[in-house]
Amino acid sequence: MACTVRIASPLRSYTRGAASLTARGNTLAEVLGSLEERCPGIRFRMIDEQGRIRPHMRLFVNSSEAQELTAEVNDGDTVHVICALSGG
Amino acid sequence: MPLSMSERERYRRHLALTEIGEAGQEKLKAARVLIVGAGGLGSPAALYLAAAGCGTLGLLDCDRVDISNLQRQVLFDSAQLGQAKATAGCERLAALNPEVRVIAHAIELRAANVREVFAQYDLVLDGTDRLATRYLINDACVILRKPLVSAAIHRFEGHLMSYVPGQGPCYRCLFPQAVDGMVANCAEAGVLGVLPGVLGTLQATEAIKLVTGIGEPLLGRLLTYDALEMRFSEFRVARRHDCAVCGEAPTITEPHDAPSRAAAPAGVRRLEVAALSEMLQRGEQPLLVDVREDAEFAAGHLSGALHIPLGQLPPRLAEIASRGDPVFICRSGGRSMAACQMALRANIRSPANLEGGMLAWAASVDPSVHVL
Repeated sequence: MACTVRIASPLRSYTRGAASLTARGNTLAEVLGSLEERCPGIRFRMIDEQGRIRPHMRLFVNSSEAQELTAEVNDGDTVHVICALSGG
Repeated sequence: MPLSMSERERYRRHLALTEIGEAGQEKLKAARVLIVGAGGLGSPAALYLAAAGCGTLGLLDCDRVDISNLQRQVLFDSAQLGQAKATAGCERLAALNPEVRVIAHAIELRAANVREVFAQYDLVLDGTDRLATRYLINDACVILRKPLVSAAIHRFEGHLMSYVPGQGPCYRCLFPQAVDGMVANCAEAGVLGVLPGVLGTLQATEAIKLVTGIGEPLLGRLLTYDALEMRFSEFRVARRHDCAVCGEAPTITEPHDAPSRAAAPAGVRRLEVAALSEMLQRGEQPLLVDVREDAEFAAGHLSGALHIPLGQLPPRLAEIASRGDPVFICRSGGRSMAACQMALRANIRSPANLEGGMLAWAASVDPSVHVL
């Protein structure tokens, strides 16, 4: 299954500035694994050592929030990676 | 609070809106709004709220106007360089609309003063540039039951969400925990000057809606804006029942000053700038790895430092491991701490973090180095 992943601005240094990438997977965990292959290090910025979504990150599949990495991802979905911003 | 004749003239376009009208304008006149942070967000928010006739407008900021602010902080002009932002901003607001009572708070918001300051206002706008202050503002608004309009920016992206006590999630429901340094701030990463203009104006819009009671406020909805793609998105955010401040069993019952930096994990050496300076003077040659972005590095860096932006670090950790124990460097010590954590995960045994980063180096060792 192919999906689009929209990348939060603070993580775009991992994607060479790309705002969105195509990734593969049937679950959020697989999609992030696919993303990690192309952008080494990006998964660790979102997921901690215990496999939990970091508390300053939110992940959405389309408009629904995904609280677990087991969340289902379907062909054509968009995964949104949202990161707390500090600038004012 | 009835309107005077001159106010009727000034606000004629508002009075013509049936949704606002005389009753709404009187509510605006009676409103007491505090803007925390007279920066990129606070500037347009303050200007529009003053112009709109918000009766009492507080401006809180402890900084002074710097020339690098003027690219986006439209509340100030070149004649005000070096002046306290709170007082300089209030002068501009008073000139824009003398009907408005403006109050300058040239202080740093802390747990010790937040109750006293917030007691003077009915609504708070968060336009600060520190996550620690964002949590202080949010927690105080929840505890003191004040509505809050929160916005934040980074490079070309912005976020906006409103909070009304008892009616939806708070900022801590959205992001339960974050510390400065995890995310580069505007000074470190840069920001499109007009971006806070968009977000700050949206904050003012939300404030006017909340004061007058019109429209649908942005409660439980996170609005994101990507200026490069000119794309607004909206995400539903639920209240967390286990939220530390607005949840069912809150553990935060008093505003408190959060640590502004993450604690160093075990295995990371904390290296003060004075200690590094002494090492270099003794002729030692530690492996210096600067993880800032290209423009920051180009502006000024330590002699001999290897440049690897944080985002490009993971695939190059093996190269670093083969060359010795690294000292990671960034602007203020946050990103370099993240680099230390990555290094530990890559089995580099003793990474060091330059505490305070290049800002501390410029302040304590070499003032001639330029730090973006």
